[in-house]
Amino acid sequence: MNRKENFTAGFIRENPVFSLYLGLCSTLAITTSLNNAIGMGVAVIAVLIMSNVIISLIRNITPSEIRIPVYIVVIATLVKVIQMLIKAYAPSLDTALGVFIPLIVVNCIILGRAEAFASKNGVLDSALDGLGMGLGYTLSIVVMSSIRQILATGVLSFDNPFTAAQNIFSIRILPEDFIISIFSQPFGAFCTFACLAAGLAAYKAHKEKKEKAMQKEAK
Amino acid sequence: MKKIIHLTVFLAIIAALAGAALGFANSVTAPVIAENALKAERETLKVIYDLPDEAFKVEKENVSKTILKIFKVEGKGYVYKMKVAGYSEGTTFLVALDQNGKVVDYVAISNGDTKGLGSKVTEKPFHDSLLGKDATSNEILDDTITGATKSSKPVIEGIMEAAKYQAENLK
Repeated sequence: MNRKENFTAGFIRENPVFSLYLGLCSTLAITTSLNNAIGMGVAVIAVLIMSNVIISLIRNITPSEIRIPVYIVVIATLVKVIQMLIKAYAPSLDTALGVFIPLIVVNCIILGRAEAFASKNGVLDSALDGLGMGLGYTLSIVVMSSIRQILATGVLSFDNPFTAAQNIFSIRILPEDFIISIFSQPFGAFCTFACLAAGLAAYKAHKEKKEKAMQKEAK
Repeated sequence: MKKIIHLTVFLAIIAALAGAALGFANSVTAPVIAENALKAERETLKVIYDLPDEAFKVEKENVSKTILKIFKVEGKGYVYKMKVAGYSEGTTFLVALDQNGKVVDYVAISNGDTKGLGSKVTEKPFHDSLLGKDATSNEILDDTITGATKSSKPVIEGIMEAAKYQAENLK
């Protein structure tokens, strides 16, 4: 796999949320608003890149018997540092995301990429993998939260996470009479997730079929 | 044996480096977090008394497990920041008492309890039932909507503890 393929794998082919079904606990819980999704996405990207880089750097000196505890210590430290930074500089985001920031430690995407990729590849490739997978995760939760926010409130809005109550944009998309407030509840999360995962699976199946047909024709 | 020592030392070094990184991050962020908390606290105090920042003076801190902070408000009385046990995580609140121990206002800052089970203490009927009550007597326990929940009783007992402390130490 070349670098470009490695970087773009997380967007569709190996999308961590809708294709690999990783990190679903936080995905279902925090995708109630665009603010939460972008905040969580940025935090996960930062942790993924840094953990991949550090684990790749120490991969040759880490004894294989204790590699998982070492990865956990590295990831937990990075998450705690990110949590402190969010608490200090984006307190409203800290309140909104609550317990889901420390829970990034047990997000399977991060440990999964550390074990499957960073422990076997160079620093640059690992950083690109972290960025790609992080962007794939962020893209997934941004799409999911936008759909849920629009259906549940009729409005798509984004507030400045660094200062309290400073609205950056707010667009009414659905009239108030057409909102479906259940989409802010767990039912809405499962429903949106299932539709998006099915959509991605159908797209991948369609693409695969097309490729097979082309290969047959070429033969 | 050699292998075990090698693994132990390696993990210990990683843990020590992690500890150092956390210590550094904490030294950078702790003052900002404390400042944010103070700012949020001041804003909540202004919900009770719409006065400038200078009007609230920290009288005492960490008085007991329940009384976290006492603010003196000149000419009005005292505001207590309290943390009491509840159904699960408990309740943090501010209560303002006048010089005679009567409840002037009550603001729930955080309530970690399950909605419906322990969250009554954050709702308006509970707030309204406290106003004007004499916290130095049992009147407050009898007349307030306690609903016999595991959250409201500790809140009222906390307010009574604050009033008792005020009567004994702040007059």
